[in-house]
Amino acid sequence: MKKIKIAPSTKTGFKHWLMQRFSALALIPLIIWLVLSLVKIIEDPEGYLPVFFAYEFNAVMGILLIIASLYHGSLGMRVIIEDYVTNKVKIHFYIMLINFISITTAVAVVIAILKLHLIN
Amino acid sequence: MNNENNQKPISPHLQIYKWNISSLTSILHRFTGVVLYFSIVAICWYIVYYTYSTSIKEQSDICECWFGTIFKIVIISATFGLTFSLYYHFCNGIRHLFWDIGKGFELKTAKINGYLVLLISTVLTISTFLLIVYLKLY
Repeated sequence: MKKIKIAPSTKTGFKHWLMQRFSALALIPLIIWLVLSLVKIIEDPEGYLPVFFAYEFNAVMGILLIIASLYHGSLGMRVIIEDYVTNKVKIHFYIMLINFISITTAVAVVIAILKLHLIN
Repeated sequence: MNNENNQKPISPHLQIYKWNISSLTSILHRFTGVVLYFSIVAICWYIVYYTYSTSIKEQSDICECWFGTIFKIVIISATFGLTFSLYYHFCNGIRHLFWDIGKGFELKTAKINGYLVLLISTVLTISTFLLIVYLKLY
């Protein structure tokens, strides 16, 4: 019988697990806010959508929601990649790709929301 | 050393097992998570596009032809799936958080919870769309 080599622990698993739970907890009120504000937008899309981020509360909640969800999403995608990709080089490549997508998206959208907040 | 990569045990693939409620909820959680991640990225870039485009009003008029109808149907069904994904991941995520504090692990409770999560997310999705129809009509 072949012996299976087990990769040495990187000691980052517990922090990863814990941060995924913390970001999930943070997302609960943010998602409730999202659903309630989407209902408000649908009620009056033309009047409300252009000035949506002009309200301080909406801008703050929107930025928090996007950062928390992208963070939670990249942690989750990392787990899926580690579970289903066998090649170590590919694992590192995909994880870096996901982190790259998440960080660039977060920075771009935060700047966009700030612009929408300031011009309206 | 090159062969080492291919001998790593990987997660069980889906085709092998008999479906039951616990495996269904688990894989749906992952699947909806992936869907939500990529839709968040897409929505974020749409916000960026919306911010920097000056003539957004003109572009929102889709032509009144068969292509526009198909486009609308695709958008509506994508929104439906996305709404279900969001509600499902939200409800099942809360179930996972309860598991993390050590509650609801008994086989019977976990089964009932699984059906409950599916039911609640379906009901929430349908009621959201009924609400949208109601708000659009009145």
